[in-house]
Amino acid sequence: MLNINYPKIEKKEFPNLQLNLVEPIIKLNLRGKSREFFTKIGKILSIMLPTEANSSATIKNISALWLSPDEWMVYGRDIDKNLKLSLDSEISKLNLGSVTDVSDQWVLINLKGKNVFEVLSKGSPFDFNKFKNTNNVVVQTLLNHIDVILHHNDTNNVNLFVRKSFSEHLWLWINDSSSFL
Amino acid sequence: MFIITCPFCGERDQSEFSAGGEAHIVRPKQPTELSDDEWADFLFMRKNIKGVQFERWNHAHGCRKWFNVIRDTSNDKIHAVYKMGEKPPTK
Amino acid sequence: MSENFRSLETKFLDKTNRISFKYNGKKYYGYKGDTLASALLSNGIHLIGRSFKYHRPRGIMTCGSEEPNAIVQIGGTGSFTEPNVRATEQEIYEGLEASSQNCWPSVEFDVGGINNFISPVIPAGFYYKTFMWPKKLWYSLYEPAIRMSAGLGKSPTQPDPELYDHNHLHCDVLVVGGGISGIIAASISSDNGNNTVLIDDKNSLGGSTIFQDDENFKINDEISSVWLNNQIKKIKNKKNLIIKHRTSLAAYHSYNYLLARENLADHKSLNERSNKLRQRLWKIRAKKVILATGAIERPLIFNNNDRPGVMLANSVKKYIDYFGVRCGNKNIIFTNNDSAYETAISLNKKGINVSIVDIRNNSSSILVKNAKDAGIKIYWNHTVVNTAGYRRIKSIQIMKMSEDGTNVIDSKINLVCDNLSISGGWTPMVHLFTQSGGKLKFRDSDQVFLPNVTTSDQISIGSCNGDFELDDVIKNTISECKNFLSLSLTDFDLLKVNCPKQKESKNIWLLPNDKPLGKTKPFLDFQNDSTAKDIKLAMREGFRSIEHVKRYTTTGMGTDQGKLANMHALGIISETAGVKMGTLGTTTFRPPYTPLTFGTIVGRNVGTFFDIARKTPMHAWHENRKAKFENVGQWKRAWYYPMDDESIHQAVQRESKAARESAGILDASTLGKIDIKGTDASEFLNRVYTNAWSKLGIGKCRYGLMLNEDGMVYDDGVTTRLDENHYVMTTTTGGAANVLSKLEDYLQTEWPELDVWLTSVTDQYATASVCGPNSKNILKKLFPKVEFNDENFPHMSFKNAELDGINCRIMRISFTGEHSYEINIESKYGKSLWEKCMDEGKEFNITPYGTETMHLLRAEKGFIIVGQDTDGTMTPIDLQMDWIVSKKKYDFIGKRSLYRSDTMREDRKQLVGLLTDNPNEVLEEGAQIVQDEKKQPIEMLGHVTSSYFSPNLNKSIALAVIKNGKKLKGQKLLVPMKDKTIKVTVSDYIFFDSKNERLNA
Repeated sequence: MLNINYPKIEKKEFPNLQLNLVEPIIKLNLRGKSREFFTKIGKILSIMLPTEANSSATIKNISALWLSPDEWMVYGRDIDKNLKLSLDSEISKLNLGSVTDVSDQWVLINLKGKNVFEVLSKGSPFDFNKFKNTNNVVVQTLLNHIDVILHHNDTNNVNLFVRKSFSEHLWLWINDSSSFL
Repeated sequence: MFIITCPFCGERDQSEFSAGGEAHIVRPKQPTELSDDEWADFLFMRKNIKGVQFERWNHAHGCRKWFNVIRDTSNDKIHAVYKMGEKPPTK
Repeated sequence: MSENFRSLETKFLDKTNRISFKYNGKKYYGYKGDTLASALLSNGIHLIGRSFKYHRPRGIMTCGSEEPNAIVQIGGTGSFTEPNVRATEQEIYEGLEASSQNCWPSVEFDVGGINNFISPVIPAGFYYKTFMWPKKLWYSLYEPAIRMSAGLGKSPTQPDPELYDHNHLHCDVLVVGGGISGIIAASISSDNGNNTVLIDDKNSLGGSTIFQDDENFKINDEISSVWLNNQIKKIKNKKNLIIKHRTSLAAYHSYNYLLARENLADHKSLNERSNKLRQRLWKIRAKKVILATGAIERPLIFNNNDRPGVMLANSVKKYIDYFGVRCGNKNIIFTNNDSAYETAISLNKKGINVSIVDIRNNSSSILVKNAKDAGIKIYWNHTVVNTAGYRRIKSIQIMKMSEDGTNVIDSKINLVCDNLSISGGWTPMVHLFTQSGGKLKFRDSDQVFLPNVTTSDQISIGSCNGDFELDDVIKNTISECKNFLSLSLTDFDLLKVNCPKQKESKNIWLLPNDKPLGKTKPFLDFQNDSTAKDIKLAMREGFRSIEHVKRYTTTGMGTDQGKLANMHALGIISETAGVKMGTLGTTTFRPPYTPLTFGTIVGRNVGTFFDIARKTPMHAWHENRKAKFENVGQWKRAWYYPMDDESIHQAVQRESKAARESAGILDASTLGKIDIKGTDASEFLNRVYTNAWSKLGIGKCRYGLMLNEDGMVYDDGVTTRLDENHYVMTTTTGGAANVLSKLEDYLQTEWPELDVWLTSVTDQYATASVCGPNSKNILKKLFPKVEFNDENFPHMSFKNAELDGINCRIMRISFTGEHSYEINIESKYGKSLWEKCMDEGKEFNITPYGTETMHLLRAEKGFIIVGQDTDGTMTPIDLQMDWIVSKKKYDFIGKRSLYRSDTMREDRKQLVGLLTDNPNEVLEEGAQIVQDEKKQPIEMLGHVTSSYFSPNLNKSIALAVIKNGKKLKGQKLLVPMKDKTIKVTVSDYIFFDSKNERLNA
């Protein structure tokens, strides 16, 4: 059998901050703009793709993140291979848009606790003042010069997505910064 | 470092963007029909003015969309942003 | 035991907390809250250093960041040492070690002091004029000698062991400066629901009002310092107000982007500091900025105005009223305005001997009346013409001024003193305002530059906006803030303020003297030792622009950026040239406002975090195998895998042979991968690549070359058609992000009608490239269900296959010229896939090879590397790749440019092969190629782009770009090197298996 190898990201505790690698879960990149595309996605995932900028929609264990007017990322424990296959056959194959598996493209790190935005502010030029008081918001920005997607899904709880090749470096950086809170 | 209001994502730091030069230079539909001079005009000639300039910017580290910016190059003041394909706002 | 100058009580220091420190090796005591300057003054020490050029003794002049003289080396010789620290800003801590700079062997006796006596022969521009020739001597003699005698402190020789951090801060309102106007502004702003940040560079708030005990200054019938103290207590509890002490603003950029340095540990002993942050750089983005940076006192410019003991009057007041330190026992105040009388009154009240020399005829100010009533002797209409005392001022000579102020008359009066407090009025600190792009205006009445026009959302309040009297400061601060924050009422609207008004004023930039200017030393820039004389000399020599005069005389170019000197330099220039000050402009104030240490600038981006490291899923395996890595963009790629103590050459020769003879394996995960879907995907590829794509069958791969619109090669890679409307494109490792951005650009702007979706999948897949005659055998073992014969799985084709139930994309493509497969798998299985390949390949001696061997193997085959063999000036035709340029396609990116007269020139630089006459001689990449060594000037025909010793051909091979190269095949050319000239022959650029027989072997 093939082994799964992930960057060395383990649970870490800091004052008012927990960092945690989220085990590999399916993440899909969706592109499209036609009405049919929205309807089909809505049907298959039971979720309406958010059209408001920088927002997210979550139903049960599936979250859909707005990335641009024609791009979303959906992720969550409730997305399985079958769901993925039906998206592929009903969207990509019918040329309604594009469904691309990016489960391994992105590594998901969860940051939890009062100090989440303190740490993020050390390396990101984004203004978190409003963001931290709103749930279900998304931002694509830079953290220590590395592209990240931040999903604020619950108060002081952020899912951070980073490209896999950057993940080890960013993980070390977050740990380092967390020790100077 | 200025702040650019991405027409899709809102106000963001300049570091999230990359600049793409002068705006509204349309790629000729039939390049092969152009003379060397006409093609060179499209390829090389840029206004590069001190003052109000029309520019293309890409929200490279955000939504990856290209859009237009009207910026005063003498003081970096941004007068307007608008999407690709849209006409520049009049005043 | 020396005299104790701290005779006075003060509420600002913790007198129970006595601190010992060392200065020039000797132990002294001070109190918690003391600056090094106040502690030294309390021990009677004025002499701090020697001046930059003339090595004149210099002492403490000020009490703040504008200090030009009292700059010291902190922290001995170890790694903690720091040069050029202002003693007026450095707080003392237990165990602090400080020493004088720019003196040898000691500050008391300095050999360089001889420069003072030869100063008439080292005027402005001396170094420029003198050391011009012989040019040769500059590096060997002049520069080292000048550097030893000049220069300020010593830089540390070891890495900085301290920790620094960066942080971003976003706020509604940023208030810079914690004096009275800053405190009122912060209070108003936070009371009205604005997220407010107040920063101040001192350890406590209050500016100069906090030690103002004069009964003449009252707010709501309280003494101003008492009222202010209550306000400070109040703002400390405000909810949406953050107060940052010991934080100085370094830079103010456009769009209200500001950098501030917070000092967290410089006031703590080394024991308290360990493993804690020393400084933090705040990157502040404020919606609105309120500058309340205050004003600094101007010196007066007269002969020998630089002796230790000559200080600014307001600083002397702060040392008495704040630190409880008297700066002398016999003080003289020398002034042109009323504010210095506050110092006189303070001294007088504390029983210290003081008299006043005033260049004015009289003043009707209440302060002057108070001074007169106290019996202080005032010399009206007098100026200082000379001072005496080498290591400390001993006496001054004053003379009466003529009616028009241009000359001195009558006889000299000698006055004994040990301190001379000077005051030439006030200069608003507009540095930050101008850094932000603001333009200044000039106010003639008191000769100050004031903030005028700005493009960013900011105001200046208080004395940095030209209000120097308490009632104006408060009244205008409130009204400016109301206006700025759109408020109609504030808690401060009904404040009652009483204060003395400034009356008669008189400004003379360069005071008259009985001696000609050439015989005097009226210093302007104390740190850089430039005098009024130097300015006038520069002007006589034809310099007119203030920027030129500054550079020629070095006025204002010290670590203090001429905070004290600039106004006088301007004044003297304008007087001499007969132009108005306002039209002259100022020199540019550049960030940082006060020097920043490099540690603060880099923050945590040191060591591991110096640069970003991207790693492939197989990285740990390579590390384990002791691979050497090379940086490709941000990627760490395995470069070669030395065995035992192999050199790079040996390792690469072994790896290359193994790959050709049996099997090699390369980590190709770093190649950019873009998923392309949509009904117009084929048309899109037609437009972005030079060759045709419509007819590519499903399951087939094709190599593509991408150009810029200018016709030059931009990127290359293999694209595979996975389905009717589905492709996956590979790009070069370094070009991945730019290619995607460029393709998105075309889709979004030029061809929005195309139905194409692009998604980066670079990190989604790990790629192991297995090559060599035995690659097929290894793949067969890995994928027993797949038929690997040429018919079913020919070169340039693709198959999906499963490995232990996990899907793999296998492409039969080759960058080495060998029979070769690229296996792509979800990246979490990458390392496991690699290990499987190694296991199954063991019997075939599968050999991991790195980028160096890859480069060698492809060079043998004459395959280009974009960015190595091309440099943005090579067309496909130049690369002899005409075959890949479609003649039939109507258009593709860059097509039109291939028919421009310049790109069609036949004598362009073209890619060719080079063989050295001596097959063991390996050329250097980048070496120049010529035909005739004797021709003058020598004609460069081109250069070597790739060069290796090929173990498979057992000779040296090289690729090069050479003018008209295609036609030079077979010709002899020369590669001149430093110690020899290498003879080469132009050859075909494919050196190995030109018939591609091995691909199908």
